[in-house]
Amino acid sequence: MSGWGDHLLILPILVPLIAGAVMILIGERRRRTLAALGVVSTLAVAALALALLGIAGTAEPGAMVRVYRLGDWPAAFGIVLVLDRLAAVMLVLTSVLALAALVFALARWHRAGTYFHPLFQFQIMGLNGAFLTGDLFNLFVFFEVMLAASYGLALHGSTRLRVQSAMHYIVINLVASLLFLIGVSVIYGVTGTLNMADLAGRIPSIAAADRGLMEAGCAVLGVAFVIKAAIWPLGFWLPTTYAAASAPAAAMLSILSKVGIYAILRLWLLLFGDDAGASAGFGGTWLLVGGLATIGFGSVVVLAAQSAARLVGGCVLVSSGTLLAAIAMGVVGVTQGALFYLASSVLGIAAFFLLIELFERGRDAGADVLAVTREAFGEEDEVLSESEESAGIAIPVGTAVLGLSFIACALILAGLPPLSGFVGKLAMLVPLLAPGEAPSAGAWVLLGALLVSGLVTTIAMVRTGIDVFWASPDSVARIRLVEIGPVLLLLGLCIALTAKPQPVMQYLGAAAASLHQPQDYAGGVPTDRPPPGEGKAR
Amino acid sequence: MPDALLLLVALPYLGAAIAGLLPTHARNAAALLAGGVAVAGLILVFLAYPTIEAGGIIRWQAEWLPSLGLDVELRMDGLAWLFAGMITGIGSLVVLYARYYMSGEDPVPRFFAFLLAFMGAMLGMVLSGNLLQLVFFWEITSIVSFLLIGYRHQSAAARDGARMALTVTAAGGLSLLAGILVLGHIAGGYGLDLVLDRGDVIRADPLYLVALVLILIGALTKSAQFPFHFWLPHAMAAPTPVSAYLHSATLVKAGVFLLARLWPALAGTDAWFWIVGTAGMATLLLGAYVAIFQHDLKGLLAYSTISHLGLITLLLGLNSELALVAAIFHIINHATFKASLFMAAGIIDHEAGTRDMRRLSGLNRLMPFTARLAMVAAAAMAGVPLLNGFLSKEMFFAEALWAPAPHPLIFDLMPFAAVVASAFSVAYSLRFIHAVFFGPDPEGLPRTPHEPAAWMRAPVEVLVLICIMVGILPAATVGPYLATAVQAVLGTDTPEYSLAVWHGLNWPLAMSAAALGLGVALYALLQRHLAGIDGAPVLRLLDGRRLFERAMVFLAWRVARLLERLLGTRRLQSQLRLVLGAAVLAAVGAVLVRGLGPGNLGHSAIDPVLALVWLIGGACAVGAAMHAKFHRLAALLSLGGAGLAVCVTFVWFSAPDLALTQLLVEVVTTVLLLLGLRWLPKRFETAGSAASAPVTRTRRAIDLGIALAVGCTVAGLAFAVMTRTPPELLAQDFLARAYTEGGGTNAVNVILVDFRGFDTLGEITVLGIVALTVFALLRRFRPATESIEVPEQQREQSAYDTLQPDRKDGDTAADWLLIPGLISRLLFPVVCLIALFLLLRGHDLPGGGFAAGLAAAVALILQYMIGGIRWFEDRVTIRPLRWIGVGLLLATATGLGAWAFGRPFLTSYFNYLEVPVFGAIPTPSALVFDLGVFALVVGATALMLVALAHQSVRAHRALPRDAGAGPAPPSPLAGGE
Repeated sequence: MSGWGDHLLILPILVPLIAGAVMILIGERRRRTLAALGVVSTLAVAALALALLGIAGTAEPGAMVRVYRLGDWPAAFGIVLVLDRLAAVMLVLTSVLALAALVFALARWHRAGTYFHPLFQFQIMGLNGAFLTGDLFNLFVFFEVMLAASYGLALHGSTRLRVQSAMHYIVINLVASLLFLIGVSVIYGVTGTLNMADLAGRIPSIAAADRGLMEAGCAVLGVAFVIKAAIWPLGFWLPTTYAAASAPAAAMLSILSKVGIYAILRLWLLLFGDDAGASAGFGGTWLLVGGLATIGFGSVVVLAAQSAARLVGGCVLVSSGTLLAAIAMGVVGVTQGALFYLASSVLGIAAFFLLIELFERGRDAGADVLAVTREAFGEEDEVLSESEESAGIAIPVGTAVLGLSFIACALILAGLPPLSGFVGKLAMLVPLLAPGEAPSAGAWVLLGALLVSGLVTTIAMVRTGIDVFWASPDSVARIRLVEIGPVLLLLGLCIALTAKPQPVMQYLGAAAASLHQPQDYAGGVPTDRPPPGEGKAR
Repeated sequence: MPDALLLLVALPYLGAAIAGLLPTHARNAAALLAGGVAVAGLILVFLAYPTIEAGGIIRWQAEWLPSLGLDVELRMDGLAWLFAGMITGIGSLVVLYARYYMSGEDPVPRFFAFLLAFMGAMLGMVLSGNLLQLVFFWEITSIVSFLLIGYRHQSAAARDGARMALTVTAAGGLSLLAGILVLGHIAGGYGLDLVLDRGDVIRADPLYLVALVLILIGALTKSAQFPFHFWLPHAMAAPTPVSAYLHSATLVKAGVFLLARLWPALAGTDAWFWIVGTAGMATLLLGAYVAIFQHDLKGLLAYSTISHLGLITLLLGLNSELALVAAIFHIINHATFKASLFMAAGIIDHEAGTRDMRRLSGLNRLMPFTARLAMVAAAAMAGVPLLNGFLSKEMFFAEALWAPAPHPLIFDLMPFAAVVASAFSVAYSLRFIHAVFFGPDPEGLPRTPHEPAAWMRAPVEVLVLICIMVGILPAATVGPYLATAVQAVLGTDTPEYSLAVWHGLNWPLAMSAAALGLGVALYALLQRHLAGIDGAPVLRLLDGRRLFERAMVFLAWRVARLLERLLGTRRLQSQLRLVLGAAVLAAVGAVLVRGLGPGNLGHSAIDPVLALVWLIGGACAVGAAMHAKFHRLAALLSLGGAGLAVCVTFVWFSAPDLALTQLLVEVVTTVLLLLGLRWLPKRFETAGSAASAPVTRTRRAIDLGIALAVGCTVAGLAFAVMTRTPPELLAQDFLARAYTEGGGTNAVNVILVDFRGFDTLGEITVLGIVALTVFALLRRFRPATESIEVPEQQREQSAYDTLQPDRKDGDTAADWLLIPGLISRLLFPVVCLIALFLLLRGHDLPGGGFAAGLAAAVALILQYMIGGIRWFEDRVTIRPLRWIGVGLLLATATGLGAWAFGRPFLTSYFNYLEVPVFGAIPTPSALVFDLGVFALVVGATALMLVALAHQSVRAHRALPRDAGAGPAPPSPLAGGE
């Protein structure tokens, strides 16, 4: 623990923290400076994330990567940051999204209210911290950082609707935080530790008299996580909040809902893996059932959505449900596919939120409602044999770009070929139905749920797309490069994921494999205690 | 050669990309590009023929996703070759045709781009060597065909047709995906060779039926088989070249291609016969019947296409090798005559301005060439001898007679059904010819018909020529290609068959003759009435499109919205009930399932004094809950009481640090909340109507139940946790090491700034964020109209002040607060000193940055409240943001300082500093960290205070301007200051 390289681990947290603090000092008036600082800091975080991705990737499979002991305290009672492949992947995703959302916001949104820039930096800091930390209470702290910033961003550019839905969001998430705290306290009270790795080591040997209590704590903690992941019936706040938030905030929210998933992926597999003794697989059935129900409800929301933003809100639910159910399968291959799907859906959803803002601009607010009623009352009885006199309509370049981006987003979210959504779905389904033993009932239901939700999304997307791009009287949207650029960046990444999936899939495969071997993680964090008084040479 | 396969699939996409970049009206360039690509493809296909003919299979492979065992594999055998030939061959002709068909105003580059992309997708599909890859391209054909059908998207018919086609085929595609996954599960892989090789294993597997049904749904939707046929006629809203391409050789043939492709793996069972055969038979009859009653030329051709696809499907379903040969043969024949007929219909439409057979007539005289061509093609469709349609129809009759059927009844009925369907086919073909080309001269057509441009007719000529050549000399023309294709599917099982016009006088010939005769008779009978019949009798009631639209609207508009309402809620209260319920269930459930033993700590006796404190605290908490709705002030005060009870408890259990912090937090939050209370509109308890009272009461009872459950659960958890202690507890480490390693005797503070300083850094960030958010939110806040008024007390005081000549406004308040104000001003430096004291001694004795910050904040609050905003801000400038920023930076910088010594972030340093007079002063680096905490807490509290306090200044300012009127709605995009 001496080279400068070691400190890389904490920089993704410190860089946005310092940037945010400096921004507060700079003051709101000097927007150009703020914007420049924001971009520089976000770029730096992205570079760091990529570097960490490289570092995490060089580790032998089965070896824990890096541990950063804060305050130089032994991991047994100090706080540690732990870098493994999963954390690195989440960091990269976060920074990519942040970059896109920030650049997008520079066009206009960052002027819509105060303190956009510092809040944005703190949001990045919270996310990065949550992905890196190896300590349960510290995870809570970073959840709070991330959520507090997201409250601010959800309220950003406050309109009545935004304040109203953000209110729901804040209240529900405060309750969830409370549950988080209760869960952590109970777990600490029973096991005596907060370090995740240490916890994993202690769970198998917990006395039978205490096991029920420990599991109760974990269950409450799990409820807190699935609220953030918006599982049915605890996630009704999500579509409303996401639809009401400003575009860049919504784009960031798209990864926020995945933090709950991340926590489950990390902790459930770590604490209740095959080595967990009597508690192995605790709550797995609930995850599966909840995930499937969420896919179902998400599909309903998608189908019933009367605005593009709410439609995507429904898609967020579907993707959360898919991930939960896939994780609950407890198969390495499926987890690997789920990680790929996660990356693809986060990018796709974020791109879509940004895109909606662009094509909704200049459209009537009532147009969406009209779309559904038009369908209901019909413009039927078109005479089929009308001659093909009329030519097609030339589409302006801007609209064409928007249209193509829309198609790309729709394909990604519906999981249709040829984009990454399909690859992600395939990557989950192929291992699920791998040759050999007969698939479980859960696997069949998941297969059905994935395909039906895909169809429903397709139907809703087609409805929205036709309405926005074909049926509406032409309104040539003015788009600026800073706005469409981020969308294209995100979609470009999805295309890259499709064209060259192998390196990514391999990386994620190694990540999934080590997630399913908790002893890797637990073994990688040294949790023995030096006797008091000899810890540090001072 | 293998690379040519890649080129074959990639070229169209490349062409599409280039075409998409061409300028809007670059008609010739786009057409040349598309034509060049198609012809190049055709040449590539023919170059491959020698290899294929020799029984070889050309493969091209590339790694794509080896983790999943998925590689890109292009594989060309006889069947794929045949389809690739049709796709590129008819594609070339369609491009040529489209060049002349599409009007000059059309943005044709887009059209050709889609067309090429579609060609690429079709080629990719037929050349797939991996079934998942086949699904991949299959779905792309659905998507691109959506864009092609919806090309003229200003027309509602085009939009609806496109949407229906996509919905049906995409649904089928997903079903196919599921089916292929199951098939791969059974066969042990997705490679085509592997699957085809393991037909026996597949058919014997218990999951065979599942895979079969799922795959068939995919194939039958794509090939528009009953009951999924309804999308195809509406896809005719596409420009005619698109119809000619999609509905002759490509899109709809994908389904039958798949059936033929998987024939060796899936066919041969009764399930196959029943599903495929029944669907085919039903479609054959239904399509032919409905086609007779169409008035639109393209509508007639659409239903005829459905019918012919039904014929092919039926043949594939018969489980007979000879029927398979007939099916593949008919695929070729149908592609040629149907493409030419679509093109002819397009020419008629183009030149006459309508496709309505009721208006068209006598075109034979006006466009004789086109008429001849159309007649030959229609005759082929009707199955007239010496044309290609006749040959495959003969084979079909033979199969209908002699194919082995699992049930004798089917065996008896099939020939009759075949003759009836053929008779219908003859009738509609006849109508096509007779209604359009014969009869009196047309009247009132939008345009005067004449022959089209020669090049526009050329593709039709080529196709009709093929129809005739194949019809006369089948063995010499199509024979080898057909043989290659059949060989690819059947391998060594290929049966003996003969391609000849004349097989002697036999039953099939008799059936052909009967069908021709019946068809002519039928048309003669119906001819006069057809114009007056709107839609096919009986069957028009079964309008698939209407049903589909109704179903879609019903699903999206009613079912989905109903379900969303039933399964979800947009109300916060309901959501909170669910959240709390779930949490209680999770905790209680987990404990119940596993059971809970007694704790390992002994019980202590209940102390009456503490019990009393808790009783009071509990009463306060209940009071707060009871008054929360209508008496917020009382509720807040009760909340403060509950907080104090907690505070006393901390003292009781010797946790002075916690008690101190809790006390300060209580004070600051209560005051801030009280300040906020001013701006909440009052709520009055009104006697509810009698009807709603029980509802309200029930709801409250439920809420009470939830509250009790949550309270008991949390209390139970707390009790359980506090009655046991694990063998190793973090706290033990902290207590043992606080002084020896952390350098402080106050373990709580050492934990906060050292052991877990990182948590503290995070939490102060949270505090800063919250302050910023509150400020940002309140900056836009406009109080509700009912609370914007100056309070009554203040109004009276002002009124009094203004009435008295020697008094200024506000004097009364100043008088009242004279003594408290004086005291508080005197106290200000004292409180600040206490804050400093708390800060400095924190490491060893109760205190610390957080408590000190709060104490300083209390001093500020006091001044604001007693002195008033203006008075205080005139004298003291606080810059809360600066405090926040500096605090954060200070804390972070302390942590970073450790880097200089090669230590991790936040490693603390501890030393004694010799200061004259005071002696040795402990100066841990943690003190600087704590200073940061202090600054941030002061800043954050002050920021929130300022935000709240300035409401009154602003609200008063706003009052005269919009008194009475509602607050202006905040505009979302107004620039910040």
